This record gives sequence, structure tokens and C-alpha cells, in this order.
Amino acid sequence: MGTIYIDGKASEADPKQNLLHACLSLGLNLPYFCWHPAMGSVGACRQCAVKQFKDAQDTRGRLVMACMTPAAPDTRISLQDPEAVAFRAGIIEGMMLNHPHDCPVCDEGGECHLQDMTVMTGHDYRRSRFPKRTFHDQYLGPFVYHQMNRCIQCYRCVRFYRNYAGEDDLNAFGISNEVFFGREQDGVLKSEFAGNLVEVCPTGVFTDRTLRRHYTRKWDLRMAPSICGHCSLGCNTTMGERYGLLRRVVNRFNSEVNGYFLCDRGRYGYEFVNSEQRIRAAQINGAPTSVTEAKRRLSSLVAGGQQLIGIGSPRASIESNYALRRLVGKDRFFCGVSDGEWERTRAMVEILQAGPARSASLRDVELSDAVLILGEDVTNSAPRMALSVRQSLRQQSFETTQKLRVPLWMDDAVREIAQAKRSPLFIAAAGATRLDDVATATYKAAPEDIARLGFAVAHEIDAKAPEVPDLSGEMRELAATIATALTGAKHPLVIAGPSCRSISVIESAANVARALCDNGHSAALSLIAPACNSFGLALLGARPMSEALAAVQDHGDATLIVLENDLYRQLPAKLVDGYLAKAAHLIVLDQLGNGTTAKAELLLPAGTFAESDGTLVSNEGRAQRFFQVFVPEDGIKESWRWLGDQSWSSLDDVLSEIGTEIPRLASVIGAAPLSSFRIAGAKIPREPHRYSGRTSITANISVVEPKPPDDPDSSLSYSMEGASIQPPAALQPFFWAPGWNSIQAVNKFQSEIGEALRGGVPGVRLFETSTGGGYFDGIPNPFTRRTQEWLLLPIEHIFGSEELSAHASSIAELVTEPYLALNPADAAGFLAEGKPTVVEVAFGGLKQRVPLKVLAELPSGLAGIPAGLTALCGEELPAWCRIERAS
Amino acid sequence: MSIVENIAGLAKGMGVTLREMVQPTEVENYPDGPGPERGAHFQDRFRGAHVLQRDENGLEKCVACFLCAAACPANCIYIEAAENTAEVRISSSERYAKVYNIDYNRCIFCGYCVEACPTDAITHGHGFELASLDATTMIYRKEDMLAPLPEKKLPETAGATV
Repeated sequence: MGTIYIDGKASEADPKQNLLHACLSLGLNLPYFCWHPAMGSVGACRQCAVKQFKDAQDTRGRLVMACMTPAAPDTRISLQDPEAVAFRAGIIEGMMLNHPHDCPVCDEGGECHLQDMTVMTGHDYRRSRFPKRTFHDQYLGPFVYHQMNRCIQCYRCVRFYRNYAGEDDLNAFGISNEVFFGREQDGVLKSEFAGNLVEVCPTGVFTDRTLRRHYTRKWDLRMAPSICGHCSLGCNTTMGERYGLLRRVVNRFNSEVNGYFLCDRGRYGYEFVNSEQRIRAAQINGAPTSVTEAKRRLSSLVAGGQQLIGIGSPRASIESNYALRRLVGKDRFFCGVSDGEWERTRAMVEILQAGPARSASLRDVELSDAVLILGEDVTNSAPRMALSVRQSLRQQSFETTQKLRVPLWMDDAVREIAQAKRSPLFIAAAGATRLDDVATATYKAAPEDIARLGFAVAHEIDAKAPEVPDLSGEMRELAATIATALTGAKHPLVIAGPSCRSISVIESAANVARALCDNGHSAALSLIAPACNSFGLALLGARPMSEALAAVQDHGDATLIVLENDLYRQLPAKLVDGYLAKAAHLIVLDQLGNGTTAKAELLLPAGTFAESDGTLVSNEGRAQRFFQVFVPEDGIKESWRWLGDQSWSSLDDVLSEIGTEIPRLASVIGAAPLSSFRIAGAKIPREPHRYSGRTSITANISVVEPKPPDDPDSSLSYSMEGASIQPPAALQPFFWAPGWNSIQAVNKFQSEIGEALRGGVPGVRLFETSTGGGYFDGIPNPFTRRTQEWLLLPIEHIFGSEELSAHASSIAELVTEPYLALNPADAAGFLAEGKPTVVEVAFGGLKQRVPLKVLAELPSGLAGIPAGLTALCGEELPAWCRIERAS
Repeated sequence: MSIVENIAGLAKGMGVTLREMVQPTEVENYPDGPGPERGAHFQDRFRGAHVLQRDENGLEKCVACFLCAAACPANCIYIEAAENTAEVRISSSERYAKVYNIDYNRCIFCGYCVEACPTDAITHGHGFELASLDATTMIYRKEDMLAPLPEKKLPETAGATV
């Protein structure tokens, strides 16, 4: 740290940073547009001008752009200098020349960075009397709404979209005063991270298209901190609700997890909460019933003397799973996923707990300088991680940057120095992945061969690791290249996961990480989990489903309780039919109607993450709490509340009981402050202080203003009353600071700009490294293709493969049709004169007709079907299938 | 001097009094007076019950921007926004107010909503007989406040009068 002087006052500043960063970190208000903490400075907008002085004697000074000037020790600047103030006011006046001033009809109004900055500079009167330039707007898909007239040409959108997210279909067109940001022609934005444009754009050029349909101003939203449940990464989000309808999701900064960005599945998947298929009332044999009656039936079934069998869920919170486990007894609590998935999940938890490699957070992924991905298309299975992997590719070029003494925040220069130089990224997958374009080398093969490559890499790094027999020369060479790259890196990272449905792939990744750690490299390992709380369920402990079948059969009159789990997606349909037919009673708790809920005798409406509190364990092993946003009017309750039946009065009770009963989950209670937490004796308001219409919201029902609902489970209140000073990071309901209405108010809550929130990083890490254990040696035989048979593998899709988000209307527009994918050579036999063909896939006594799709990168001998999108999604894959052309 | 000034001031004041003595008496015969307002007489700026205005094409001026609700110190304005479509066009902008309620139990007629409105959609009319013994009748819906549709004029075609 060095000392800089701002308006004569000495302050501490990081000399590696620029002056804008330093001023904002010190809590000063300095307007800016083109600079973004995650994307650095380009000095394009000229808005952050300050006056710099040579020394204490210099009174004249000169104007500099704060974002392009290093905060070197003894720098003397003035923010309040009249010339600097006038310059900034002039710049914003220029920007506003063509801005349509349509704030009342603009979705950004009330949370607009341009509004904030205009007010900050004091520009309040338009002197120009000339016409404004106008543009045609484009259709950019179901997520982002385009209104080009509002643009102030800061270039943030293309810098994010092209440089940061690495997609190329958004660009700047035209010159001078007519620069247009959009696509070459109308069409859906290709990037899976396009939704971030909504937050990256300082004004209303890109706005949330789903919010438009049920528009509400930011100040009218009731908001709460939440955790995304649409994959295992546990990105932090902020939910916004009004009039009982979940309105939108925005990013909630967490320096260790998602930083400033979300994926589109996480941002737009929320709409399933408002879906037509929501279960809103309890049902007995399909007929709606009252909460009291449902409770009576539940307790009579539970106390009925029959054997209780509980089936948990990898997408339900730890609390809900625990409540079921407690109700049925731990010997009769089953995991609710196929034996294969359960084995893989438990193995991953075991590896992360007992292995020497650190479980990587997304920030670790971003900071790693050599990455090996085994068997995953990260963009589709854990999307936000792909964005972090893309950033990791810049790490090695930073060495050159540092040698040339170019600061890292000087974005254009840093990218110019890097040119096409990228850190090594190796991807071995059973098909094309969305990161192939930036990979050093890719290897397309069957799961067995991917695992063999992993084992071979481990052996190359450490001779003590088991050797792979019958290794081809080509694979040995690739393994040697990968091993050299990984050992040559400072922070190598291995990523693997369950997409290949192969435990060997996971074990081979563990071997690579172990080999690196044992040889003195600080390697990290990131294992992607199948669902948002798979690791939480594994830590809680449950019996495998194959034993559940025996338990149901042993007790012919068992009562089966299924928690937030569509068994038809997890297990073969025949097997599930068997379970459900044999059970005397079926109780199901769920959020959306599905095959399992249709058969329930007693169906209880379970709260989604918007209507319940709970804790999820992410793939990093971070336990994070999500909080209820609103109290639904109907009978929807948290699953743990249904199952706990009066035995707990609040979430704290559940958490402390979990802590005593299951010692390995004892630290979960610390994921967020308890419900007794108060700031100066007050709760933290979920509503901004400008929340409008408070007294009139229910006036059509009763003119008496109702008391806001109590929240026994958290220290957040359902009103605008309470302590409005900085809450602990895990309880931050929304980011707002005086003069900072946009999401960039997060500046005011960070310990340093771009670094952890004041009050710590939300969540607690449950996995710590250990030195025990040894290498796995279950090396599979090489894949041999069969004639007339294909190995059927699931292909993950960001939109559609996850159960809940697929019910969001905007995401549903992008869900692919079911298909069967084959390699062009394999497909040739089924194609009729190149026309689209429908084929019949047959395996294990099942048949499914699907259109044939030719995928060039799919290895020969493999067949792919989209995960979670066909009637076959519950079947245990991979499986050998036969394919015939359907007549 | 001061005596002269005092007398002059007194004379001026009494002058007004004496002049008013000979003026005709004004009595407002409300509620028995003539006209639709039954004798009540308003200044232009009188803040009575709200009127939601229409533009010259008969479209609603309200664009559901929520600024009136935000400005309202009594928090008595309830709005639900909806999008205009090509088939159903209610306002001239992108959104319109699908529901617009004012709770007159709580409205204090401060006029902040009118001041906040960027499109001059909400105005204070001169409606003033708002009292009721039943508080539930005090919730005014959009339909209760909306200005009537303008009478349709035949389109003037150029050259038709030649």
C-alpha cells in the first residue's frame, strides 16, 4: 500500500491499481462508464477525469483519466477541482445529446448507472436543440431486449461479450456518432452468458426481457439473498418479488464464487416458480384439499403403523433432506438417485475430503494457469465455470505483462501483449464442447478412453501412479504434453464430473490432482456435482436406491415419502412403477407437477428457493444459505416444515439439531447469521426504503393495512423497516447506496473494489485437504466399438437438461428437440438421401423414436441423447443400444 | 409624520371595507345551485379526485412507469403493468397500467403523483364528494378514474373540400 493525496487528504491506495479503483475503494464518488472491475480500464468514456498535480507545489495540475492512471505512491489528485468537475459535466452532457431521456418507459429506470452518474455530475439541463440520432432495435432472443437509442457508446457490452465471454455474434458497427451495438442481423444471442449484458450495460440498451412481461421497478421489489439451484456451482443471486410473483433474478456478488456474472440458466430459470405447473395446494388423490386436512392426513399416514420409507433428493436443501431422514429414521432414508450417480457423488465427496488437492472455488478456477477438463462440457453442465475457465486462459500471458511493467487493469494493452497466447487448456470429452475454440488440444473419445488418458497423465507426472496398460503411442504423447503443461504451471487445475456417467473418469482426475500435489505443485481439483445439493445429500448420508426396492418389497404395506424428486428422471421407469405399485401409500412433496406427483396419494406443495429457507452445498463444498423472498398466499411451505410438523419453531432449530446429530455438518449452521441476529436491535429489511404502494397492495381485499408477515427463520424482515446499514454479506438482500441505484452499488459494499464483500465471503467451506489416501487403480479397458450397437451417452444441455429451469418460459424457447446423435460415418447408414430421418433406439427392452442428428465431433461407436429431455432420461446410461430406421 | 401615515393606512384599510359593503353578496348555493356541480365553484388548481387522461387518439396516457406510486407519501397507489401488443394497444408507449387503484381512504390529495407524472396522465379533477360511510367503496379503480373516450371525429382527408 502507498499513500496518495486526494484533495489534499492522505489516503492508502494499492499502487498496483488505478486511481479510479483507489477512489472507489476509498468510498469516494467518481463517475465512470467504460471501466468495469472485472474487465479493467480502456479509457474510452473520459468520464472519470480528475486533476493530477506533479507535487505539493504544483497548483495548476493537468486533467487525467483516473481509470488510466496508476495509483502510484505520492500521487496528488483532486476530484473537486473546478476544471475537473466542469470536464466531467461536459462529458456527460455530450453523452446525453443522443440519449432519448425516456426513463419513465425504460426498464432500467431507477437502477440505471447512467441516471446515477448524470445526477452525480450535476447535469440537469439539455442545451442542445438538434434532433437525436436513432437506430433500429433488434430481436436478440428470449433473454435480452434491445433498445439501441439509449446507447452511450461505452463499449462495455462488446468488451464483455467478445473479450470476456469469448463469443463473436455481438459487435460494434458503424463509425463516429453512429456506432451500433448489436448483431449483424436479428437472432438469438449465441452466448450462454448474454444475460449479463443487462447488468454490464450502464443504461437501458440491454434489458431483461423476462422482467418486461411482469415489470416492476427495482425500488418496488422485495428482495432476498438466494443461491441458484440450477446447477451445482451455487452462484449467489438476488431474487426480487412483488405482489406474490417472482419477478427476476440478478447477480449477487460473491468474490469466491460467481463474482459479477451469472449464466443464463441461473438468471432466467427462476420463472418456473410462476409456472402453470406449480403445485399450489395440497392434494389428496388428486383433489385439492386444505392445509389442515393435508396435515391431518400426513400425521395419520406417518403414525399409521406402516413402515415408513423416505426418498431424499439432490435438489432439496440439507434441512429438508434431514427432516425426512429424521421422520423415517436413518436406516430407511434413501438417496433418490440411481446407484451409479450415488456412487459417483459419494466418490467425489470422498476425493475432495480425503485428497491432497484443494477443492477449487470459481475464483480458483479463474486464477489457475493450466486446466485439464476430463469428460465434461462445462458450458452445459456447470455453465458459470466455463466463463471462469475462459479467464484462466489469460493467466500465463500476465507474466509477460508483468515483465513489461504493464499493469493488469490496462485491459487493451494486456490483451494486445497476450495476442493469441493462451494458458494451456486440454479438454477430453465425449463430443464437442463450447470451449473447444480456445483449447490447446482436445481429445474426443468414449468415457473409458477419457479415463485412460487421465490415468496416463497421472502416471506421466508421477511414476508412482498406476501405469495404463496397452497405451497407444498417440495417447501417450498427448498425456506427456498435458503432463508437461500441468507441471509447468503455478496453479494447475483438473476439472471432472459426472457427465460421462463414469466413475473411472472421476478417479483418473483425482489421480492427476494427487500426482501434481505429491510432486509439490499446488494443484486444485474441481468436481462438478449432478445437482445443486448432491454433495449436501452425500454428506448427510443416505442408503442407495437399490436397497429401497428391497425395503419396499419386505414391507408390503410401506408408506413411501418422496421429497422434491421426480423419480422418473432418476431411475428407470419400470423400476419406479414397481416401487410405487408396491407401496401402500405414497406421499410426495414437490414444487412442479411431474410423473411422480401424478401418482401421489397425498401431495404436499413444497416451497421453491423463493418461498423457503435452507442450505445447499455447492460443488466446491461451500455450504450457502438461501432465504425466502415472500410468503405465498396458498398452502406452500418449506418441505422441512411439512415434515418436521411443529417440532421446530425456526430454521435455527433444524440447523442446531443437524449440528448435533451429524457432526460432519456441524459447521453448516455458520453459513449465515442465525435468525436472532440483529443490527442495533432491528431486522434487515427485504424492501428498499422507497418501496411504494405499501398500504394499497391488499386494499382491494381489506382497507386495513395488514401487518407484514413474521419471519421466524431469518433476521430479514418482510418490510422496509429495519436497519439499513451494511448487513453481513450472507444476508445482503440487495445492493443500494445513496446515489448508487444500479447494481454497481456493490462498489460500496466491498472491502476493496472487486474483492470480498465487507463482512466476509458468504458461506462456509466444508472440504479441507488431507494428506491421506492413495492412487486409484481401477483403469478401464479401452473402448471397443461394436458392430450394429452403439454406446448410448447423455449429452448435457444448458437449456433443458436441468429439471426445474426447463419450465421457465424463456428457457423453454431455447430447449432443443429430443434427438439421437451419431457420428457422420455411423449416421450414413440411416440417412435417406440426406433428409431428416427418424430412428428407433432400443435398449434394455425400451424403445424410443427420435430424429437423427449428425454430430461431427462425436466419436465413432457412440450415440448421444440430450440429457433430461427424452422419456429415457431415467435410464441408467451409458448403455449399449441398437438403432433402426423408423418406418 | 407617523400620525399622517397611520391615518393614511387606516383610511386605506377602511376603504376596502367600505367598498366591499356596497358589493352584491356572493352566496354559493351548493348543493342547490345550477349546473352539474350544483353551485360549487372551483379554482383551476383545486385538487379533487384524480382523472386518468387520454391522448388525442383516445389512448391512455399512463405508461405504467410507477413514478406516481413512488412519489405517493401515503403509499396508496397500486399499479400492475402489462405490455401493449399489436392486437391490444392501450397506451401509446410500451407498457400500460393493467390495474391502477387509488385508495381514497389514505390519499391526502397532496398532488405529488400529478407532479411526478412524466406524461401528464394523472391529474387532479374537481370531483370532491368522495365521502362514504363504507370504507370499502373508497378504492377507485382505473375504470372509475379514466377520462371518457373523446368523441370520434371523421378523418379529414386532404383535398376533400376542393
